[in-house]
Amino acid sequence: MKTFRRRQWLVVALFLLIVGFTAFKTVHTARAVVDWKSHRDEPIRGWMNIGHVAHSYHVLPQALYLALGLPAAPPDKRPLRNIARMQHRSMDEIRAILQNAIIQARPPHPPPSDKSPHREAAP
Amino acid sequence: LSLTDQLLAALLLYGLPLLFGVIMIASIGVPLPINLILVAGGSFVAQGEMKLWPVIIVASAAAVLGDQIGYGVSRWGGRRLVARIIRKIGFKTQFEKAEALAKRWGGPGIFFSRWLVTGLGPWLNVTSGIAEYPWRRFILWDVLGEALCAVLYVMVGYIFSDRVQAIEEILGNLAWVILGLVAAAILGWKIVRSLRS
Repeated sequence: MKTFRRRQWLVVALFLLIVGFTAFKTVHTARAVVDWKSHRDEPIRGWMNIGHVAHSYHVLPQALYLALGLPAAPPDKRPLRNIARMQHRSMDEIRAILQNAIIQARPPHPPPSDKSPHREAAP
Repeated sequence: LSLTDQLLAALLLYGLPLLFGVIMIASIGVPLPINLILVAGGSFVAQGEMKLWPVIIVASAAAVLGDQIGYGVSRWGGRRLVARIIRKIGFKTQFEKAEALAKRWGGPGIFFSRWLVTGLGPWLNVTSGIAEYPWRRFILWDVLGEALCAVLYVMVGYIFSDRVQAIEEILGNLAWVILGLVAAAILGWKIVRSLRS
């Protein structure tokens, strides 16, 4: 009986632990969904290629190819880290060049319906 | 680059063969971020890098093949071999959870572990094999679940193609929430039953 009770308490403790963890993750998920709008622009990462960056930031890929001094055709499908290595640049440099090109490529005065903070920050 | 980043970069470079290999290996039981790979696949479809139906068919086929390998090895390799593997690599708790789930839910357990609680999928293959769950029923639930999984995640990636990383964060958290709810439901039911007795 004593062993059974101890085991029962252990199950209750585990249950509460799991409920707490699930509640924490639920809040985290809900917050991520609510913050959806502010995550409009994905951070530029080494695995992405130029086409993916252009798609994520809603700009023409030609502007990004031009910024990196690459021909626009045929489309360069290499990841940015490979381009960085080829051009003897760091990923931070590549990221800065692309972000600058994105700012230039985006319309200076976004339509009123667009509330993206990144677009508002564009010159 | 992290393993996830390397896989995503490789997916952009090598396309379907890489998708097939990664999903098959993950379905056997190697912990790889296949949900993110599927979402990224959907995003690459939206960008015109890949085509929708080949991605869905290849992903489903790879997952089913990996599941069949897990099931076959467990069924014909037997409980002793699996016990030895678990002793070496761990994951005893996950195995026990999956075994309990397999016994309790059978076919629906296999189906839901393909797309809803994907982390338990490989373990349910093992437990279904050991428990000698009928192969015809296993493959039916498996194909249905894996096809739904591929369609669901690829379409999420396709619709939200410009936000792969944000989606991955949400899906990653959501998977924990679902797993937590399942575990809490099982434990809660155990507590209620012991209180009644």
